[in-house]
Amino acid sequence: MKIRVDMTRCTGHAQCAAQAPDLYILDDFGNSAADGIEVSPDQVDAARAGATACPERAIELEGDE
Amino acid sequence: MTDMFSRDAPTVGRKMFTESTMAASNTAWDAASAAGAVVRTGEEDGLWLLTRYDAIADAFRDWESFSSQRTDPEIAAITVSNSRMPLTVPQELDPPDWQPIRRVLSSLLKPVSSEAMRPQVRQWVDRYVDRIVGEGRCDFVTDLAVPVPMSVTMEWLGFPEEEWQPFASVFHEIAGYPPGHPVREAATVRFPDVYKACRREVEARRVQPRDDAISAFAAHRIEGELVEVDTLAHLVLQVMGGGVDTTTSVTTAALVHLGRDRALRERLRDNPSLWATAADEFLRIYPPARTFARTVTADTEVAGCPIHNGDRVVLSIVAANRDERAFERPERCEIERFPNRHLTFGMGIHRCPGSHLARIMLVEMIQCVLRRMPDYELLEDEIVEYPNWGGVGGWAHVPATFTPRH
Repeated sequence: MKIRVDMTRCTGHAQCAAQAPDLYILDDFGNSAADGIEVSPDQVDAARAGATACPERAIELEGDE
Repeated sequence: MTDMFSRDAPTVGRKMFTESTMAASNTAWDAASAAGAVVRTGEEDGLWLLTRYDAIADAFRDWESFSSQRTDPEIAAITVSNSRMPLTVPQELDPPDWQPIRRVLSSLLKPVSSEAMRPQVRQWVDRYVDRIVGEGRCDFVTDLAVPVPMSVTMEWLGFPEEEWQPFASVFHEIAGYPPGHPVREAATVRFPDVYKACRREVEARRVQPRDDAISAFAAHRIEGELVEVDTLAHLVLQVMGGGVDTTTSVTTAALVHLGRDRALRERLRDNPSLWATAADEFLRIYPPARTFARTVTADTEVAGCPIHNGDRVVLSIVAANRDERAFERPERCEIERFPNRHLTFGMGIHRCPGSHLARIMLVEMIQCVLRRMPDYELLEDEIVEYPNWGGVGGWAHVPATFTPRH
């Protein structure tokens, strides 16, 4: 499973990082730097919570059922 | 959508902007939402009001069609009241001008930078609570919810301490009172002095930088060039306006809410981990900035209604946050609500850059009250709301009594 962030939508609410800071890393401006990151099996719940929390609906989990 | 639907949006008046209590304004918004997804105030100003979460979020994101830029340089572009206000930067800029100014704010207020300010926030909270905790009586607004965000914001910017109170009160008084009200008019007259001081501080930091946000603004370069002093002074104004009275409003709201719900107060006091979701539920129910305005830049259609180039559209945070299509049981305070994608900080490119710091201040203030004044009782008869719930809502006074501690 892979994190996909639509950077045209991300504006730095950082609610993904509030759910899963180790997975949803941020750049120098507080926007997502997590696009393309692989999600290991033990991180799936955290990844889903972070994606769900995004107010801009900018995050998709590639390969999630 | 057929012409039958698109011809006329229902007319609902402008009570949601003029009611003098939060409850009455919310009721007026509920009535507007019930009337339709897109409604109009009426003949006199012909504002379009969007009442659905999805359409409002989409309009926030679509900055090209729903512009924040001023059409009259003297008149505020993103507030409903059409009043004369100094320009706020970057929220009244569209790209490309918006981006380089926004970047400096975002980088200074990103989560890790805001988190680094938590000890300083705590110090201010403790300092102001120390002053009242032995008294047995306080006013949550004037003793805590105004001075903490003011001190944090003004210290962060780097203003001399003797100017914090007089400058912050200008924003407090403009936010709280409707256009034409003597308190607001008197505060508006003082705006040029605040602006001059912003310029003065920016110029001083150009010469002699310090460890503060104004120095970072003053040193900021866009394509190698320093930014004009005027632009930076408008940026400083924006930070004051955004930082000073908004956190005040939601913190006061939460203290009033918890004053009336003792069981919830005890639950939050005994389970601080609940704050991970509780803060956003208070933000959803009690948005300080209740409306934003945008100017339409091209003929468009929202929910079947034709909206024309130059029309003014109101994006209602209140209606969005109370939209049952977006939130189950929106009328209920559910502190474990998740996800909670409320619009209190806005959406899209102008999303509040201070949101991370605001959450920290909100939670630190309330946790401190619950810890040090756990048995507070509101003096209900002495609570005074702002008379203005059209733009930024809030309270002028929320007195409470409690067992004094030394």
